[in-house]
Amino acid sequence: MARRLAGFLVLLLVVSICEAAFLFQPISDSHRSTALELFTPDHGSFKSLEETYEALRTFQILGIEKKPDLTATACRSISETVGSSSSTAKDLFYALKANSIAECKIDKKASKGIISRLKAAVSGASSLLDFYYSVGGLVLIKDQSSEADVHLADAEGVFRSVKAFSQSDGRWRYSSNNPESSAFAAGIALETHAGIVSLASSEIDQSLISTLKNDIIKLFDSIEKYDDGALYFDDKLVDGHEYQGPVSTTSSVLRGLTAFAAVTAENLNLPGDKILGLAKFFLGIGVPGDAKDFFNQIDSLACLESNRVSIPLILSFPSTVLSLTRKDSLKVGVSTVLGSEVPSLTVKLVGAFSSGSKDASLVESQELNFDKTSGLHILNDLPKSIDVGSYTFVFEIVLHEPKHEEVYFKGSQTKVPISVTGLIKIENSEIAVLDSDLGSIESQKKLDLAGKNAISLSANHLQMLRLSFQLTTPRGRSFKPHQAFLKLRHESKVEHIFVVGNSGKQFEIVLNFLGLVEKFFYLSGKYDMELTVGDAAMENSLLVAIGHIELDLPEAPEKAPRPPPQPVDPYSRYGPKAEITHIFRAPEKRPPQELSLAFLGLTILPLLGFLIGLLRLGVNLKNFPTKPLPATFAVLFHVGIGAVLLLCVFFWVKLDLFQTLKILGFLGGILVFVGHRILSHLAAASAKLKSA
Amino acid sequence: MGKLWLICIASISILLPFLCNAFSPETPTDRRVLVLLDDFAIMSSHSLYFNALKSRGFDLEFKLADDPKIALQRYGQYLYDALILFCPSVERFGGSIDVAAIVNFVDSGHDLIVAADVNASDLIREVGTECGVDFDEDPSAMVIDHIGYAVSGTEGDHTLIASDDFIKSDVILGGKKIEAPILFRGIGHAVSPANSLVLKVLSASPSAYSANPKSKLSTPPPLTGSAISLVSIVQARNNARLLITGSLSMFSNRFFRSGVQKAGSQTKHEKSGNEQFLTEISKWIFHERGHLKAVNVKHHRVGETDEPALYRINDELEYAVEIYEWSGTSWEPYVANDVQLQFYMMSPYVLKTLSSDKKGLYSTSFKVPDVYGVFQFKVEHQKLGYTSLSLSKQIPVRPYRHNEYERFIPAAYPYYGAAFSMMAGFFIFSFAHLYSK
Repeated sequence: MARRLAGFLVLLLVVSICEAAFLFQPISDSHRSTALELFTPDHGSFKSLEETYEALRTFQILGIEKKPDLTATACRSISETVGSSSSTAKDLFYALKANSIAECKIDKKASKGIISRLKAAVSGASSLLDFYYSVGGLVLIKDQSSEADVHLADAEGVFRSVKAFSQSDGRWRYSSNNPESSAFAAGIALETHAGIVSLASSEIDQSLISTLKNDIIKLFDSIEKYDDGALYFDDKLVDGHEYQGPVSTTSSVLRGLTAFAAVTAENLNLPGDKILGLAKFFLGIGVPGDAKDFFNQIDSLACLESNRVSIPLILSFPSTVLSLTRKDSLKVGVSTVLGSEVPSLTVKLVGAFSSGSKDASLVESQELNFDKTSGLHILNDLPKSIDVGSYTFVFEIVLHEPKHEEVYFKGSQTKVPISVTGLIKIENSEIAVLDSDLGSIESQKKLDLAGKNAISLSANHLQMLRLSFQLTTPRGRSFKPHQAFLKLRHESKVEHIFVVGNSGKQFEIVLNFLGLVEKFFYLSGKYDMELTVGDAAMENSLLVAIGHIELDLPEAPEKAPRPPPQPVDPYSRYGPKAEITHIFRAPEKRPPQELSLAFLGLTILPLLGFLIGLLRLGVNLKNFPTKPLPATFAVLFHVGIGAVLLLCVFFWVKLDLFQTLKILGFLGGILVFVGHRILSHLAAASAKLKSA
Repeated sequence: MGKLWLICIASISILLPFLCNAFSPETPTDRRVLVLLDDFAIMSSHSLYFNALKSRGFDLEFKLADDPKIALQRYGQYLYDALILFCPSVERFGGSIDVAAIVNFVDSGHDLIVAADVNASDLIREVGTECGVDFDEDPSAMVIDHIGYAVSGTEGDHTLIASDDFIKSDVILGGKKIEAPILFRGIGHAVSPANSLVLKVLSASPSAYSANPKSKLSTPPPLTGSAISLVSIVQARNNARLLITGSLSMFSNRFFRSGVQKAGSQTKHEKSGNEQFLTEISKWIFHERGHLKAVNVKHHRVGETDEPALYRINDELEYAVEIYEWSGTSWEPYVANDVQLQFYMMSPYVLKTLSSDKKGLYSTSFKVPDVYGVFQFKVEHQKLGYTSLSLSKQIPVRPYRHNEYERFIPAAYPYYGAAFSMMAGFFIFSFAHLYSK
């Protein structure tokens, strides 16, 4: 339970975060616009008649003009359900419920058939829901047409069989074989009982009704409570199958209670603050985003507004933040939960307390003036004793006519958190650099905290910095803001924050740099100074750059702490990198082609010289063999040499080493053979010549 | 009937591994989200946010955070693709979920949204710490801003902040500028400067501070100024995306619908920026934006189409890759002008920006450096808000073969000339020597 409570408190925090006093606003236009958003039919019609009914009922309560097509499609599905013989009691119940708003014409014959079917369902019912749907259906027929005969002959017997599902703690069971009891079922049972009473042809035994009243009182003993005074019913979560949630459960109980109160003449004796607590619960959930919750909220609030027990009155405030400077007046509206008109009454301011303190009231009890045009109760001038700050105002409603006291429940006192704001005067602000041992002022500058400042100071680690200012409220009292920070930011973005303390009226901070050297990480250089003064009650909260101070701090010793790493700018962390192109090796420097060709020409010259030399020597070929065989060998030998030389040329031009060596091997073999033959022939010839 | 059940269970068990994986380029749809709540009332009070998610095709499953039956995985398979923790006050999760389970969930690439609030439990703070952010340790501290607060008739303590200090990134916050400030009430957190994966999406203004609004300050608050992050995101190295915020109420219908006027400004916005901001950022969190995939990596020599096994130094080559971005329903071409290619061996030898045809194809051509060895084509695309693309493909580069060098060098002609004239002389000399008388 604690978990659910905590969860709901989170929700309520959305509404208001104040501790002691809570604000509840009645239903407003935001509900109306949300209703139109939530109850939008798919393709012109709702999924079920239950949803159709919820939509129609919500629009009816909120006073939203029904769209004609919505009614038309609703009527179509209503007459389909009513006309069909296979529709269940549940379908009929919701069809009739929707019809109570849509007011379609239902065939007389069909309605007769329904009555007999519903009556049969009542007598054959075995579970609470069977009774609920069939009895509820009959009640709806009775309300819609007076001539139909819908009276239950054995009303008392039915009453007893529904009562048989009740438990000792005031809760009900859904059926006799389901041991779980629930408050949701209790609400359904109460509504069914109310239906039976209204359908009864003869008076129901009073003792039965009084036992039911006891059950209601027992049920209210199990009511649960939030810190803000909101009351609600909730069931234990068993397996989530039939669990409805606090909104549905509370709404069901409230509907049952209203229906029951409407049919019994007696007073239910429910205390008004319980009803107010339920109203607070439904207002406290704000604007639900779920169609079912929304319907339950609106329908329950409508029940509260029209019930016969008591109608709660709600104080509403257009604004709880009041400015002393603008001379705002305190306005209070009084309305019912749905925001409708109330009888003439007076709102009294009973007391005002500074929040957090338990002192006596700061103001005397006084009445607020009623402004007819706006319909608000107004306190024009805030009392002199109210200065800026947050307060808890206590209001009381006084009804003018005593007979209304019975109808309306106004609650004893309403506590409301009020914030009073104003312009704070800032004076005597100055900044100075002092010598630390003597306290003599080195340099002093005036500051204008409302405007721009560009102070430039310089100090070393033996000096001190002093900043002081005074704050005064519009009522002339000294003011202590929640936020008074002096921030020093080094060029490397290392920040140091100091709280500016106060002594009486004067706010002053003295920074003795000698003691701060380590804290400043021995970082010398330019420090930007920034002063922030702010408070919830201060309308002119400020954040001003004062200027900068040039600090000359000693060198950091080796073991000094390093400044913490500063966050890297996320934008600079990403992004494209600079392009890189490869620098290729430069090709070797070569002589110009003409030079190479010239040298090529030069290399031919020795060959020419050699040829000329040979001619000059008178070279001849007289020794060439004359016999055919040696001559052939000689020719082959020289052709072979020529081929090898040519191979060298080809090796240069196109062939690779392996091809060249292959050919060379072949040529070499031939060359050795023919070379040996011709050389031995020549040797033999010359030997013959010598011997001859 | 029994048979039908059997078929059902069999088909689910077959499909399960495919249905419940993290976001992957192969199965980007099928997104199941587990929402853990403190109270089912949040379903109703925050319904606009949930409906926005449902309308985008997410399958939300709401559970109480202390429900004993909740589990993130069964039989080693994750049951969900993402987790939303809207349970700031939970002291202990039910079922098998604990901080380690959540960390494992994220480590396997799943997304997470965490919303804390004032009085957030130690458990939620621990989840925050695991995600790389530190919530203010003071349990009653709230972010207060006496200058950048939202003007309100009923709330006078300046804890309702109107913040508009957004991260400048279209991919995270959508292309449409968020005009109205964001309403925020809750606790602030700091991101560690050493953690480069955490980004502040919404920062507090310089005048903000984090403190208990009801007690007097005697020491400087631990968090001040724009160092306070209101909403942070994390993109883990496995592309899991996380959203961390210190305010659950900023997701509420009330804040979505509420008008906003920032103190000191005359413009009154009809509607706060919360809905736009949180919806856009949820698109990012659930990978509907900024999730890239690269396909069809191709490279070849200029004038050829086949991919060679290796390149020779000084070859001209062409490189192309197609990059697409997931849009929530389909893969759309990714358009950018800063995708870069590196030709890398120990360090980049070539770093070139790829040119885009605006249809997802990025290409470039360059000359292989005259250094041989084993190179890599590397595309390391890291951009704020996008998933990081990291492609690398190894490719060897060889030097010239012996017959690939230049054969007819004019400068060497004198040498050749000398050799050949020598050979011609030898040929003539052989006749003269052998046959001359």
